[in-house]
Amino acid sequence: MKIRRLLPVVAMALAASAVLVSCSSSTTSSATTGTLNFVNDKSWDFKSFSKVSQKDIKVSLNSSTYADQPAFQAFVKQSFRTNKSPGLFTWHTGDQLDQLVKQNLVADTSSIWKKAVANGQIAKSVEDLYTVKGKQYCTPISVDDWVMYYDKKTFAKYGLTAPTTWTEMMSDAAVLKKNGIAPFWSSGGDPWAFVWFQILLAGTDLQLYKDLSTGKASYTDPKVVAVMNVWLDMEKKGYFSDPGSKTAPETQMKDGKLAMIPFGTWYASTIDQVGLKPGSDWGVFTIPAINPSQGKTPVAIETAPACVAQNSSQKALGLKYSAWWMTSEAQTAWSKQQNNLPYNPKATAATQTFVDAGKELATPGKYETYLRYYEATPQVILTEALDEFTGFMTNPGDPTKYLEGIQKVADTYWKSNK
Amino acid sequence: MTTTTSHKATSYQRSAWAFLGPGAAVVVLVLYLPVLYTVYLSFTTYSGLGSPVFAGVANYVALVQDPVFVTSLVNTLIWVAGSLLIPVGIGLVVAYLSFGLKGAAWLRVPFLIPYALSGVAVGIVFGFVLQNGGALSQALAFLHLPGSETRWLQEAPLNTVVMILAASWQGIGVNALLFTVGLQSIPKEPLEAARVDGASGWRLFRFMVWPLLRPSTTIVVGLSIVNSLKTFDIVQAMTQGGPNRVSETLGVSMYRDTFSNSDYGLGSAVAIFLSIITVAASVIYVRRQLAIGDSSGDTASKDA
Repeated sequence: MKIRRLLPVVAMALAASAVLVSCSSSTTSSATTGTLNFVNDKSWDFKSFSKVSQKDIKVSLNSSTYADQPAFQAFVKQSFRTNKSPGLFTWHTGDQLDQLVKQNLVADTSSIWKKAVANGQIAKSVEDLYTVKGKQYCTPISVDDWVMYYDKKTFAKYGLTAPTTWTEMMSDAAVLKKNGIAPFWSSGGDPWAFVWFQILLAGTDLQLYKDLSTGKASYTDPKVVAVMNVWLDMEKKGYFSDPGSKTAPETQMKDGKLAMIPFGTWYASTIDQVGLKPGSDWGVFTIPAINPSQGKTPVAIETAPACVAQNSSQKALGLKYSAWWMTSEAQTAWSKQQNNLPYNPKATAATQTFVDAGKELATPGKYETYLRYYEATPQVILTEALDEFTGFMTNPGDPTKYLEGIQKVADTYWKSNK
Repeated sequence: MTTTTSHKATSYQRSAWAFLGPGAAVVVLVLYLPVLYTVYLSFTTYSGLGSPVFAGVANYVALVQDPVFVTSLVNTLIWVAGSLLIPVGIGLVVAYLSFGLKGAAWLRVPFLIPYALSGVAVGIVFGFVLQNGGALSQALAFLHLPGSETRWLQEAPLNTVVMILAASWQGIGVNALLFTVGLQSIPKEPLEAARVDGASGWRLFRFMVWPLLRPSTTIVVGLSIVNSLKTFDIVQAMTQGGPNRVSETLGVSMYRDTFSNSDYGLGSAVAIFLSIITVAASVIYVRRQLAIGDSSGDTASKDA
């Protein structure tokens, strides 16, 4: 009797789930014009850019932006299990891209890269960042070098010039500090807590930096401790802005309270938003290495990839857009909109500041690029490191316990991911 | 019992089930299945990609061995205690003092408005007020008062305490409203009788109002315990559990493990642990309160 009573309930439940399933089916399209769904974690103006692509290749972007990084990643990962996976989405290179490739979730872009490299649209060194086991995945929206933004007016006021060596930069910092201005921007939390660790470690020993990110070196290595102590020394001298402040660095600079901000070249469009102009208000210089005997000066790079989901119904459209974004026409338009440095050498930078910076960075034999800490470090170690660095900045003191905290997580990670 | 009546009852029940079916199906589909799935995930290793791999109780072992888990648990308990002390306590005071006053309804409005905001909005606003060099520090410096150098959100347990105060700013109003409804439902006669007998002030409250208010107190305290155990949004918005995880609550730990680290197994284990203590706390509390209510105030005999 009871079973018979339950039957209608079960039937109803099945019917309800059947409805849900049938709602989610749709068809794959191989159309190469139309509207492309673009899921991203960047607050950039894709709407304006969509007009350029609409004119050029008859594809427009339907962009949805997630401000919260974990929510964005969870959404993208969930979408792969459905047929609503995006035709184009932003992601991160390094460990995070490896994870997707391992599961065969992103479309192969090897042929697009082959053409782009052959046509001289992009440097071969960038291709390495997009290569997993010999094949390429995703394409770059932009490739950004990390430079130091400085307040030209403040520098002029105290008779300072853009430094070319670490020693010069430190003496500039001493002058600024004496005049009540925070020399360098620093911030705790996710994502920016890694910035000074990266600058100091790569500037001291780039090989050690690379070994740390591949698990060959330990965070408790005496050489890493020494680097942390340089950081501590700068903290104690008061060379950093308050890591607990939520005031945007560009606002702090505009208020004349902050002189230097280390960021990627993408930062130009942000600093513009408070009305600071390149050339007259701010300039950039390459961040000098602490240890000049390394030969080449290390320059951090990061790149914003756009990827196409392997099972997306808009795969063809997404790949077409990816290829187009790398062309000099698209890169010139993109650079003009973002005020950044285009990676395509045939495209032109929008401002003289970046034309000059681009030339400087292209000086043969002078600079060596390395992948930014945020992408180079496996995710779990990164999360822990950002917390530990924030703790270290908040209460500057003996770095040992913070490094031990990171290494504990690193040990567990590398044990199962060698 | 004749067969006819039994038959009637059955057919009646059958149509009842038919009506109940769709609702029950939805509840099972969107409520119970996800819970079961979370229980399953807590025994696996899963990164959100591919398929979960069974891992036994490894996640639970990792959880209790993590020193931050203790911090997180302690912070959560501070939240429970703080939420009972401040939003519930002050809510009662506001309700009692304003009860029966002329225009009291208008008096309660300013307390109630913050409840309309989301926890994230409250967190962001108070984040700007309490950050280093923020509005509070600037105000204190301007007035030459001490405390302008205090790092409100960076020192534990100070950051948890100020976040509880921020949450209280939001929570007092609704508690006051619930208590007001409770006060209105108290019959007038026993209070008048007590007054005639000479009770007033504290004695009137302690021995007459407080016991008669028990149904409301049970609800308010029960809700407060459950909500504070689940504290997440305001902490995530104000400190993200930092700096260096010192202000993390279990809700924030769950989010960090699941979404920042893509460790769905560990995150699910935290979720299950949190659910168990939440359900246990509410069942124990509510059962105790109902038991007291059942014995019609005769508390002496109930504990036998």
